[in-house]
Amino acid sequence: MASVLIVDDAAFMRMMIKDILQKNDFEIAGEAANGEEAVEIFKDQQPDLVTMDITMPEKDGLEALKEIKALDSNATVIMCSAMGQQSMVIDAIQAGAKDFIVKPFQADRVMEAINKAM
Amino acid sequence: MSNSEYLDVFIEESQEHLQTVNDSLLQLEKEPDDLSLVNEVFRSAHTLKGMAATMGFEDLAHLTHTMENVLDLIRNEELEASSEILDVVFDSVDDLEEMINDIAEGGSGKRDIQQIADQLEAIQRGEAPSAAGSAEVAAANAQTEVGGGAQNLGESYDEFELTVITQSKEQGFSPYQIRITLDENTMLKAARVYMVFEILEEAGEVIKSTPPVDELEEENFDHEFIVTLVTKESKEDLNERINRISEIQNIEIILIDPEELGENSEAESEPKTEAQGQSSKDSAKAESPESSQPVQQLEPQQQKKDDKDETTKKPSEANKTIRVSIERLDVLMNLFEELVIDRGRLEQISSELDNNELSETVERMSRISGDLQEIILNMRMMPVDQVFNRFPRMVRSLSKDLGKKVNLDIYGAETELDRTIIDEIGDPLVHLIRNSIDHGIETPAERLDKGKSEEGTLVLRAYHSGNNVFIEIEDDGAGINQQKVINKALSNGVVTQEEIEKMSDEQIFGLLFESGLSTADQVTDVSGRGVGLDVVKNTFESLGGVVTVNSEQNVGSIFSIQLPLTLSIIDVMLVELQKEKYAIPLSSIVETAIVNKEDVYSAHNQKVIDFRGNVVPLVFLKNVFEVPEAGIEDEYYSVVLVSKGEKMAGLVVDSLVGQHDVVLKSLGSYLTNVFAISGATILGDGQVALIVDTNALIK
Repeated sequence: MASVLIVDDAAFMRMMIKDILQKNDFEIAGEAANGEEAVEIFKDQQPDLVTMDITMPEKDGLEALKEIKALDSNATVIMCSAMGQQSMVIDAIQAGAKDFIVKPFQADRVMEAINKAM
Repeated sequence: MSNSEYLDVFIEESQEHLQTVNDSLLQLEKEPDDLSLVNEVFRSAHTLKGMAATMGFEDLAHLTHTMENVLDLIRNEELEASSEILDVVFDSVDDLEEMINDIAEGGSGKRDIQQIADQLEAIQRGEAPSAAGSAEVAAANAQTEVGGGAQNLGESYDEFELTVITQSKEQGFSPYQIRITLDENTMLKAARVYMVFEILEEAGEVIKSTPPVDELEEENFDHEFIVTLVTKESKEDLNERINRISEIQNIEIILIDPEELGENSEAESEPKTEAQGQSSKDSAKAESPESSQPVQQLEPQQQKKDDKDETTKKPSEANKTIRVSIERLDVLMNLFEELVIDRGRLEQISSELDNNELSETVERMSRISGDLQEIILNMRMMPVDQVFNRFPRMVRSLSKDLGKKVNLDIYGAETELDRTIIDEIGDPLVHLIRNSIDHGIETPAERLDKGKSEEGTLVLRAYHSGNNVFIEIEDDGAGINQQKVINKALSNGVVTQEEIEKMSDEQIFGLLFESGLSTADQVTDVSGRGVGLDVVKNTFESLGGVVTVNSEQNVGSIFSIQLPLTLSIIDVMLVELQKEKYAIPLSSIVETAIVNKEDVYSAHNQKVIDFRGNVVPLVFLKNVFEVPEAGIEDEYYSVVLVSKGEKMAGLVVDSLVGQHDVVLKSLGSYLTNVFAISGATILGDGQVALIVDTNALIK
């Protein structure tokens, strides 16, 4: 069973993704509300996959992504983006994100991206 | 080709006819009952057909012919000019355009027109066009799939691309055509495309993509695109790698055979090479029976000659132009500027010396350098029409996609702008227009509810004023909700409450251009408003331009872009303030006047004059530029009346000196953002005069 770290500053969003993942038999390695926490938990838990929101306080998703990639260049990170963040998404992919999903989330999209990334 | 001397005329005229067809069709769509329009299209198409047939461009002739058949039915009122039918006609016009462009670039004008011709024929037979079209596409797909190796997704390659494909195949790479279809609901298509390209570029080299990469980045495509790739990877590996990306609906990979493509293209260029090929063969044959040796020696030579002929011939078939890099023009311009400064000095010296022969020569030189100047400037100028002419089609298809009715009016398309600017403004303008259609203009139902006419109007306007060109995009749509902008800006932390209170309406709307601000309740894939507008602003600012917005709720919005002409040599009126000389661009001056002080009135703490029935505010340049007072007061004011668009102001100066050509020099990085000064210039006597930016003085 693959473990997933969910990063999003909105608890609601985390809940949604968690829900989707749990229904599909994923283990939740942890939840983080900002990039700072995300990097910490990543170090601790070594999850198989990270879903990473882009806009967050403290440290945004892009920076967190870069730090995680520096820790483990094989880390699988999927970006969660809002509409209109095209250039950020492209930056993220350049920085090594495997894929991205666009809010509002649809369960099948999320699962498609995760399954393809693993 | 024997007809080559007519080719220029042919190309030029064909383009004119196509433009007519395009314009009339757009018009026809608005007034489907106006048969005179059909007649016009018909006439142009007919002429085009005749010309194409004469020149031996069969595909061109064939397609115009089938198009003509459909138009004939419409003209005889046997067929209604429905928008589906017009779609097909528009598509065929696109094809015609491609062919003519190809010919203009020295190509053969061949093109695969079977599909579109079939669609037109289907219409002619009275079948519904859309059904026929998709059936046709399906059939075409089926064919390639059944054939397995039948080898083309409908791409065509130019000679260079073919060479690359052939060579890479020789080096053990495999060329593939890959058609990638994105999921219909894909958001952020450009990012998806980026991911695909990243993978493809990792795997091999992308030779070509249709639509081209920049359009893909702009999201100017539906859901699919075709990429030609040379790679060492196998088809299956490629498929798997691309499939890793989500939101991809379908991938179709076909191995292409360069020889076959090559044959096609050879067949395409046949008319050109045939004659030569044959004659050389003939001559070879004729000579061979007599003695084979000399022929062998001859042949390579001949071939070389042929090659040369071909290369020299190609460019001559296009328009008689050469391409010069813009940098070279810049250098030319700089050198010329130096010359103009020296010319000024010479004029000054010759007038002081008062030597007949000298002043005659100097005069002559001035005249010639004046002509030279005009030529150099004109080389860099292009009408904005270059950018504007693609908008009618874009507006049409966009409003169709969004289910809105939009009428586009374009004014001032002949306004000229520096080439470098023209190149840059296309994309941001597209963005603003999309914005206006998507968010500004309401759906027909909403408009009717609000008591507006069902059809929204979008006005695109360009005009010169002062040292600037203004481009305005005005819509009569919903306008911008100011409160919403404020709320959004506050919640995003772009501004604080106190700042808002100090801001004018225009400044508040200007917040729209801050990054991350989107007031759209619902974001569509046409424009998100928020990420785009700050890019738009940056682009214009990097060109030295300024963008402003004004809007009234439910009345409409107007985006106004002020761009510099970057004409570095301008005509100015020199004026004096005490002992300082200032230059006012002639292009913004309406006239000069001497006004008696008694005729100056005060209104709202502002001195004004009554000028031909208009109340015009006075601006005392002495105060603006803080020129020390000398004390002697005249009872008259010398006033230079300047205008910006419809607004006017009177600039009060001490005296008027006269008209001069001057070289506009920037103030350099030490003195940026000086209020109302756009640059400086060196006068004939070595004095420096500051150039007044009148637009900054008119509020």
